[in-house]
Amino acid sequence: MRSAPLVKIALLMIVCLLTTGFSFTDLITPERINAVTSTIKSVGKAARPLSDDEEYYVGRAVAARLTATYPLYRNSRLTDYLNLIGQAIALHTEKPTTFGGYHFALLDSPEINAFACPGGIILITRGMLASVKSEDELAAVLAHEIGHIIHRDGIAAIRSSRWTEALLVIGSNAAREFGPKDTAKLVSLFEGSIDDVFKTLVVNGYGRDQEKSADSAALGYLAAAGYDPQGLTGYLTRLEQAGKGSKGGILTTHPGTDERLENVRQSTVAAVDISSLPSRTRRFAEMIR
Amino acid sequence: MKTTILVILLSGLLCLSAAAETVQVTTRENAVRSDCRFFAPVKLKVSLGDQLTVKGRKGDWYLVSVEDVSGCIHKSAVEARRFASAGRGAASGGTSADEVSLAGKGFNPQVEAGYRNSGTNLNYAAVDEISRISVSEKSLESFVQQGGLIQP
Repeated sequence: MRSAPLVKIALLMIVCLLTTGFSFTDLITPERINAVTSTIKSVGKAARPLSDDEEYYVGRAVAARLTATYPLYRNSRLTDYLNLIGQAIALHTEKPTTFGGYHFALLDSPEINAFACPGGIILITRGMLASVKSEDELAAVLAHEIGHIIHRDGIAAIRSSRWTEALLVIGSNAAREFGPKDTAKLVSLFEGSIDDVFKTLVVNGYGRDQEKSADSAALGYLAAAGYDPQGLTGYLTRLEQAGKGSKGGILTTHPGTDERLENVRQSTVAAVDISSLPSRTRRFAEMIR
Repeated sequence: MKTTILVILLSGLLCLSAAAETVQVTTRENAVRSDCRFFAPVKLKVSLGDQLTVKGRKGDWYLVSVEDVSGCIHKSAVEARRFASAGRGAASGGTSADEVSLAGKGFNPQVEAGYRNSGTNLNYAAVDEISRISVSEKSLESFVQQGGLIQP
């Protein structure tokens, strides 16, 4: 008879524990888990991508290097136009917002080029702007670069050995602020990481598969936003023709335009209402003149 | 017996409220909106680290409440976490306790400050200028409308 209250208490405890997500693995304390698995985690985390805020700082640094090479082209009207197109597309992607947001800017260079800095900064040159012939083509360029950001292609350029080293420093430091030695080590790793991304963006370019994926994503983003996906075909055709007569810029870092064009042509894209295409073409002409 | 069942059910409900799903804002700034769509009126501005109680899901949006305000926030702006009185880590698919503890500890403002002084040719002034570029929601909404684009 005396056991009834105890049964009630036991039942209450079980219900409470189960509803709060208890499992018997909770009997093992986090400290114990950490002690046993720290080595496994260090190895596993070596392949861990950067967190969104870390990616943001990498992107800022890459943009700082790019803008030290190519000065900003300060034209608020064009910059706003670029940002309106870019944001209109970004809202239809799987990542409509990033840690620091998407920002689009123009670089004062006649070279035809575009750069997707990790985290959301996208830079295109005056030469690129001059090479497109409609808002939908410009949207295609931006959609492609957004694709690189969402796929974290810039981050993928960072050598994995740097992760391992960085994680050793981070893992050994319990405080949020680092001491001078750890800071120096992290700054050095950061510098190396920025070099990796910068070289990929400016010298080597992304791999063919990355370009293909970014093109494929761009077609989907354009259709979802209501832009004509044919804008990408039009732009690549123009790029292919330009490639026959000159070298440098995007033609160096984006090889195989003919292959990209073929892939895009073969892609299945949802039908888009293009009845508003003339009005967009008009506003493009007014903006660019 | 009836009393026992009633007590157990009530306790269960109390414990459930303690285990309410919470999401944490992962972008520098964002908004809780009146409807689950972009361009819907902003009811509350939220920022990095703010914790919101999840009331439900609607497509890509969370129905959340915070500071007596209820509304919607897009799933890409938050990370799902489940906080329980038993002190467990993240729910499946969420961020692990280890990742949470590492967040912000790697490449952060302290490292950026060190990099700025590294002697590399950098133009952070331009980057800060770019980061300040923004278009208002109102102008973006009318841009979308005037261009015959699809409302997000």
